[in-house]
Parts: sequence; C-alpha cells; structure tokens
Amino acid sequence: MSLRRPTAAGSLPLLSFSAVSKLQRDGGRERVVLDSVCFDLHAGASLGVYGARRSGKSTLLRLAAGLDFPERGSVRFEGRELAGISGRERARLLRGPLALLSAEDWLPSPGETVMDHVAMSAGSGGMSLREARRAALGALDRVDAAGVCAEEMTVSLSSSLRARVLLARALVREPRLLLVDEPAPLPSLLERDGFRALLRAVTRERGIALLVASEELSALQGLAALASISAGELCMAQEPGKVVELPRRRSGAGERR
Amino acid sequence: MLERPSHGGELANRLSMRLGETWRIDSNDIYRLLQNLEAEGLVCVREEPRRDKRPGTRIVYHPTERTSAALTRWIETLLPRETFRLGLHAKLAVAREHDLPGLRSALGQHRRECLELATMMCPGEGELGSWGALLMDCTRDGIHQMLQTELDWVARTLTRIDEYAARRS
Repeated sequence: MSLRRPTAAGSLPLLSFSAVSKLQRDGGRERVVLDSVCFDLHAGASLGVYGARRSGKSTLLRLAAGLDFPERGSVRFEGRELAGISGRERARLLRGPLALLSAEDWLPSPGETVMDHVAMSAGSGGMSLREARRAALGALDRVDAAGVCAEEMTVSLSSSLRARVLLARALVREPRLLLVDEPAPLPSLLERDGFRALLRAVTRERGIALLVASEELSALQGLAALASISAGELCMAQEPGKVVELPRRRSGAGERR
Repeated sequence: MLERPSHGGELANRLSMRLGETWRIDSNDIYRLLQNLEAEGLVCVREEPRRDKRPGTRIVYHPTERTSAALTRWIETLLPRETFRLGLHAKLAVAREHDLPGLRSALGQHRRECLELATMMCPGEGELGSWGALLMDCTRDGIHQMLQTELDWVARTLTRIDEYAARRS
C-alpha cells in the first residue's frame, strides 16, 4: 500500500515501513506488538491510524520517529534505515525534518514564557536567539496563539492553548513529517475539532506529511487515507499493493477552521 | 422545504449534504416520500417558472400550514430502529470450523469497507459554531461511532478466532 500525491509520483517515499515486526516480552512469552506492518507515506500525504488502547499504534509512531527499533523488517525515513543511525543523527532528525507531537511531551519549566519555550525549540536547530524568536512568533501566529499567550507562563497554560503551543513548537523546526499521537484530547468537542482542522490546514499549506494515530475514529476525519490497527496488524482502507493517487486537496475546498 | 421551497432534486441534494455520503440518498426515495407527504396534506406542489430564466417550468414543493407543527411532533417522536443486520452475523451463525480462513478474509473486507466509509466522511464546511455545523457534526459523530464500533467488533472477532486457532494447534 502506498500513499502519494500525483506530484510525488515515482519519487522515494518519505516514510516507509516494510514487513516491520515488533515483539515485547510478556513474562516468559513473547507478545507481538506489530506484525509485518507495511506502508509507504509520500511527501505531503496524510494517513490516519485508528486503533483501540494497546493495539500497537503508539509503538508504530515511536518506530516511525526512530525512538525504538523493530525486531524484523525496516523503517526508512527519506530512504535511510532508522535502525542504523547513531544517537546523534537521531537527535538531529528529531530537531529537524521529523517531529513527534504527543501531549505527554509537555514539560514546562517554571518562569518560562510560551515564547521562550517555542524559541528554545527553534534554537536547538542551530538558529541565533533573534532568529529563533522571530521563527517562534511566526509559528505561534500561525496556530492563532501569538496574541493570546506568547508572554504567558508555560506552567499556567490551558489545555487548549497547550495543544496549539505544542504544534507551534513542532512547526518552528520546519518538519517534513509530523507524527501525532492522539491529537488534542481536549475537554471541549468544539476545541478538539478546531485543533484538528488547524492541524490539517497547516500541514497542507506547508506540504508536511502527516501521520496521526488515535483511539477515536472521528479524530482522523479529513485525512486522505485511513488504516486500522489491531493486535499489531495494520489494515489499510484499500486492498494492499494498490497505489493510491491522492487528489491534491481531498477535503480542502471550503473547509472550516 | 420549510427553510426554502425547492424542487425534488435540490431537496435531495441538501439532505444528502447534511446526512453525509454514507447515507446514500436515493432521489427516487425522496420523490416517493414527497408524494406520501402530499397525500397527507403536508406538502403543496406547485408548477413554477424556472428561477434560472431558462424556458419551461419546475415542480416546486412548498410546506402547508400544517408542516411546521408536524415536523415539531416528528422530532419529539421515537422512530423505529432499523433492524440491526450485518451480513457477517449470518455468516458467523452458520460457519463451519474449516470456514475459518474464509471468515477471516470476509472480516478483513468488512474492516476495509468501514475504513473506506470513514474516509468518505469529510469534515464540515459550515462555519464553526453555527447551528448548521452543529447538526452536521452530530450526524457525523453518530456515523463515526457506528463505524468505530464495527471496527472494534471485527478486531475482537479476529482476536477470538486467532486465540481459538492457537489453542487448537
């Protein structure tokens, strides 16, 4: 199964899983967390993975980010086998082209403003402080948070703004692939929808490929392709082996924000 | 119709927009429904010149003075549930042990179909927070929830089948 946009036809996939299996020891036995998972994600494409708790979806994202390695098969980012790279290269990857967005990664420091927090993320990519602050302001502006909370303390941020700031923090590094684990499990349904629409709009306008995992099928609406995962097996909406040419803007026309 | 008297095709389109593609509205059903409503005195049929200034006329459906109250009553009433029938349940009811591979493949196809239907569900086009968007969001939630339940059921069934097969071998 291969997901690509017409413009990227024939080019190397951005992210590629081939026959990826991940095992976990459970007492004396071995539990299969991922079972021969295969898929390609091309530049600018989007894929949503639905799965219940403990279905293997977070493991899939961790493997895609190179934070964990499979027992069998290979995970490639831009053609490079992630298992073979050094810790230093992995860190460089996660500071640049590859971003993992997860609510669990929110670690505010006392006395730190939202602006500092996002600028720090940009700065770790090698920018000067001034450039980093300018980039941070741009990213916060794009997620409609600049005017609201740039000078607020990160420790006292609402969950809704936190989700936006996390997204800004990822955007500031100009990733080519954004991995999202459970997009914004916010208390307000309207805010959830708003955040997910923002996520789709931002990635579409910047040509960022999007891989989203959620235990809520409705969280994945608007993504070009869907798959479900259970007992480590990934099932795509279309027959395996079929190459799907995705329209440039599947649900973009008139989509609300 | 209460919002705007229209011809049958337009009514069907507007309904289709709100219920989503998964409902698969058949315009023949709409005309049949409109006929029934006319027989009950809830619809008034008028032949009117076309609005786009082209020659000819159109059949336009208007509400009667009883329509609004009838809609209020209909909203309050509990409608009969559609029979809960999934072809797969029938297969599971009569499958033999050697049908396991066939069942697995049927379950896999069902899973793909659920995912395809979910892919067809596009996020709303209405203004965020408007009444129209609210109605469509609620309908979409219902469809997503049903598809999610079926996906979970398929996953459970496959797990049960696998655990059974593992115990047997």
